[in-house]
Amino acid sequence: MENKLAGPAIAIEELSVEFSGKIVLEGINLAILPGELTVIVGPSGSGKSTLLRAINRLNEFFPGCRTKGVIRIHFNDGWMDVYRDGAIPLPELRMRVGMVFQTPTVLPFTIKKNITMPLKVTLGMRGTGLVQRMEWALRQVALWDEVRDRLLDDAATLSGGQQQRLCLARTLALEPQILLVDEPTASLDFRAAEKIEQLLLRLKDRYTVVAVSHSLSQARRLADRLVVLREGRIVQQMNRQHLQDATIFQTLIDRVF
Amino acid sequence: MKSICDPLLIGFAWLSALTVMLVAALLMGFLLWRGLTSVDVELFFGETNWLDAVTGKAPVFGGIWPALAGTFYLVVLSSLLSIPVGIASGVYMAEYAPNRARSWLGFAVDLLAGTPSIVMGLFGFALILLLRKTLLPEAGMGLFLAACCIALLVLPYVIRTTQTALEAIPRHLRLLGPASGLSQLQTILHVLLPVAGRGILSGTILAMGRAAEDTAVILLTGVVAQAGMPRSLWDRFEALPFRIYYLAAEHQTRQQLDQGFATALVLLLLTGALFLAAFLMQRRFEKRWKIS
Repeated sequence: MENKLAGPAIAIEELSVEFSGKIVLEGINLAILPGELTVIVGPSGSGKSTLLRAINRLNEFFPGCRTKGVIRIHFNDGWMDVYRDGAIPLPELRMRVGMVFQTPTVLPFTIKKNITMPLKVTLGMRGTGLVQRMEWALRQVALWDEVRDRLLDDAATLSGGQQQRLCLARTLALEPQILLVDEPTASLDFRAAEKIEQLLLRLKDRYTVVAVSHSLSQARRLADRLVVLREGRIVQQMNRQHLQDATIFQTLIDRVF
Repeated sequence: MKSICDPLLIGFAWLSALTVMLVAALLMGFLLWRGLTSVDVELFFGETNWLDAVTGKAPVFGGIWPALAGTFYLVVLSSLLSIPVGIASGVYMAEYAPNRARSWLGFAVDLLAGTPSIVMGLFGFALILLLRKTLLPEAGMGLFLAACCIALLVLPYVIRTTQTALEAIPRHLRLLGPASGLSQLQTILHVLLPVAGRGILSGTILAMGRAAEDTAVILLTGVVAQAGMPRSLWDRFEALPFRIYYLAAEHQTRQQLDQGFATALVLLLLTGALFLAAFLMQRRFEKRWKIS
C-alpha cells in the first residue's frame, strides 16, 4: 500500500500523437499507479498500442510521428520528463521501461543468446553474473525447468507460449521498473495465454505493468484499472470494483464495442 | 473457365521449371562431354612438371594454371573490395538514408547496375591514362586495376541484396533492438545483420559469380594471353574467361577447342568452389552468431 501513497508511476498530460498528419491520440491525460496492472482496451485503431509506445518513445520509429504533451515517469532516482531533450538517453529509457510485443519476437539465436545478447551489448555483462541473471530471468517466467537442458537449442524450436515467455524473460533480465505489454496473448492458444496471464498477475507486485488487451474478458480478469480508448481518446476509466459489477461492465461493452 | 485455366497454369509452371532444369542439365552435360576428356595434368600445366609449377619453381607455358590463379586472385580481391563497401552501402540505404538521399542513391545504384561491362573496362582504361598523365606516371594496367573495376561492376548486386534483405525484416523484429535498449548501431550489428545474413549471402554469391565470368572489363584493364603467374598486384595477368574466349576465337585444331570446353568446366568448378566457401563462411558466422 505504501507504493500507492507515493503518487503515480507514470503521469501523462495532454498527450497527442500523430503519424504523417493523421491524429491517432488526442488529449490523453492518465495517471498510472505503481503496483497496479493497468489494462488498455478499445476497438482496433483506437490508439492502444500507440499509447503504450508513447511511454518508451518507440513511436518515433514510425514514419511521420509527432508527439505533443508531457509524459513523466517516476523512477527510483526521481521524476523524468521523457520527452524533454537530454532528460534521459533513449536506450536507457527503453531499458528501464521494458516492452513485450504482440508476436513473440525471438531472434534466430539459441535460447541462451536470446536473453544474454542485450545484457552483453547494453550492460557489458560477462561471465557468471551473466549466467546468473539469465537463470533468474527464466525462473521469473517459469521457463527455467522447461529449457535448462536445452539452452543451446534454437529459440525457434520453442512453442509459441514458451517463446512469448522467453521474450518476457529477456525484458525482465534488463531489470526494468515499468513493463509495457502489447497484446501478449493475441497469438497464443488458451492454455499458453492463461500462463502468461498468471505471470502478469504475479509480476504486478514488483513492476508497474501497463498492458494492451484485445479481449474485454481478459481485461476483466487482469486489470486493477481499466482504460477504455476510442478514436484516440480516453472514454472511460474503471477500477477493479467497477469491473466486477456485472451491470456496469455490460454497459461498458454496449457503449464501446 | 476456371476448370480449364487452373490445369493450364499448373502445366505451364511445371513446364517452366522443367525447362530451367533441362537447360542447366544440357549445358553441364555438353560441357562434360566436350571438356572432360581434356581435363588432365597437361591442361593445367602444359609441359611443366606440376610440382614445380605449383611451388613456383618453373614457369608454365600452354597450361591454364596461371589463368586459374589469375581468376582466383581477381575474384578474391574484387570481393574483398566490393563486399564490405556493398554491405555498408546497403545498410546505409536501408537504415540511415533520409528518403530523398535514398531515392537518389537508389537511382545511382541502378545506373551502376545497368552499366555494360565494356564501359566499365573503358572507364578503367581511361582512368589509367589520366593517372599516367597526372599523379602517377608509373601507373599501369594490372590485377589491382582490374579488380577495382570488377568490384565497381558487382557492387550494385551486393548493395541491392543487402538493402532488400534488411528492409524485408518484419517490424516487430526491427523494434526489438531499440525496445531492449540497443542503440541504432548495436541493433544493426546484433539484430538486423544476423537476421538478414542469408539474403546478404545470396548477393555476395551473385557478385562473385559475375566477377569470375567477366571478360570485357579485364580485357581493357590488364589481362593478356601469356603473362604467366601474376607476380604482384600491379602486374598483368591471365584469366580463365579470357583464355576461353581466346581458345574459342583462335583455335586451329579440334583439340584446342576441346581445351576451351575443359577450361570452361574448370571455371565452373572454381566458381562452384568459391560459392561453397562463401556458403560455409556464412554458416560459420551464423553458428557463431547463434551461440555467443
